[in-house]
Amino acid sequence: MGESRNITGGAYALTVFTAIIPGHEEELRETIEALPRATESPLARLTQLHTSRLQIIDHLVYQGPPALRDALQSNYLLFTAAFDGALEPFLDAIIDDVGPAADRWWRHCVGYPSLADRAAFKGWIRRNQVHTSLFAVASPNESVANVLESLALREKVLEFAVSAQGLPAGEVQERFRRTFGEVG
Amino acid sequence: MTEGQETAAARSPGNTLGRLFCLTLLTPIRPQWVAVLNAAMWLGKFVPFAQKHILQFNFIHFVRWSIVKEMPYNGPPQTRDRLKYQYLLFESNFDGPWQHYIDAFAYCIPADIRFVWGRGPAFPGPPPAEPLKRWIAMNSMEGGTYYCAYPHASTRMVKSALITRDRLKRLVAESRTAGPDEFMAHYEQFLTDLQAHL
Repeated sequence: MGESRNITGGAYALTVFTAIIPGHEEELRETIEALPRATESPLARLTQLHTSRLQIIDHLVYQGPPALRDALQSNYLLFTAAFDGALEPFLDAIIDDVGPAADRWWRHCVGYPSLADRAAFKGWIRRNQVHTSLFAVASPNESVANVLESLALREKVLEFAVSAQGLPAGEVQERFRRTFGEVG
Repeated sequence: MTEGQETAAARSPGNTLGRLFCLTLLTPIRPQWVAVLNAAMWLGKFVPFAQKHILQFNFIHFVRWSIVKEMPYNGPPQTRDRLKYQYLLFESNFDGPWQHYIDAFAYCIPADIRFVWGRGPAFPGPPPAEPLKRWIAMNSMEGGTYYCAYPHASTRMVKSALITRDRLKRLVAESRTAGPDEFMAHYEQFLTDLQAHL
């Protein structure tokens, strides 16, 4: 039942809290903040990944009275990801495509077995996974590839509409077939 | 915010990329409310209206809630956490910045906001919006790094692109058999149908 609530349409929400080895917080913070961004990010190699965040949770916010004060005894690396498909292939992709970059952040966490032991890594992620209670997605059945392709097509349609203005019908059709003939 | 997080937030915006903003909150739930919240969220998965209701403002790409019963424990050297509350983790990926949209939440769906978070101790139930904004700012988990595969596309742009793609496929099929004049009629209808999306 926990697993099914991580899924909406074709998308999966993964949430993982892993305790940071005491004394490793600053190095881990520097590591994740120094990660290249956008298309240069090692996470960009995961072609099924829509969004992801890596951050350190080192405190709980006191809400004020009548709340009781709560404090963390350990600090945690929170890794969240929203991706296409199932968890197993995603973890395989982390191992195969992100590899050493992922090693550099998770090696600061307690019990991390390294990516070299595929089964142990997957087991460690699952043990530290917090299942989703509710997951909502704007376009739940559209993969990353579909979204990127559609965004590119929309730009192409805009360019075409501008360039085709005032042309005779036969030429518009001919240009359209050349430009978009493979779509479908 | 800890000193480490303040430094981090000042150094790099770990929760923004392009148009997108990632808001993460981790807030306590009153013990008496955990079962009710869990049941309501379980129901939300199976009630189609719930997804539409959550995403009605058209600026959210992905949003999740997780009830954190306890922090995972991996043995020494980790010190096991025994917390006084269970916690609600909230993560939303949306067209930022978040301050612009809290008014929409506070004044359009205040009952929903109060239902989900209002059973946390000391929650300032909306409306009005300003105490809610202060509460969100206080509880926002900063720092780290953020990734999105399409960071320059708003939610509306993505939806428009998907609609354009689907409508384009129809025109491509029409273009294969129509003569030039018939094609132009289809093409002009295509542009009319998509004027809100191009």
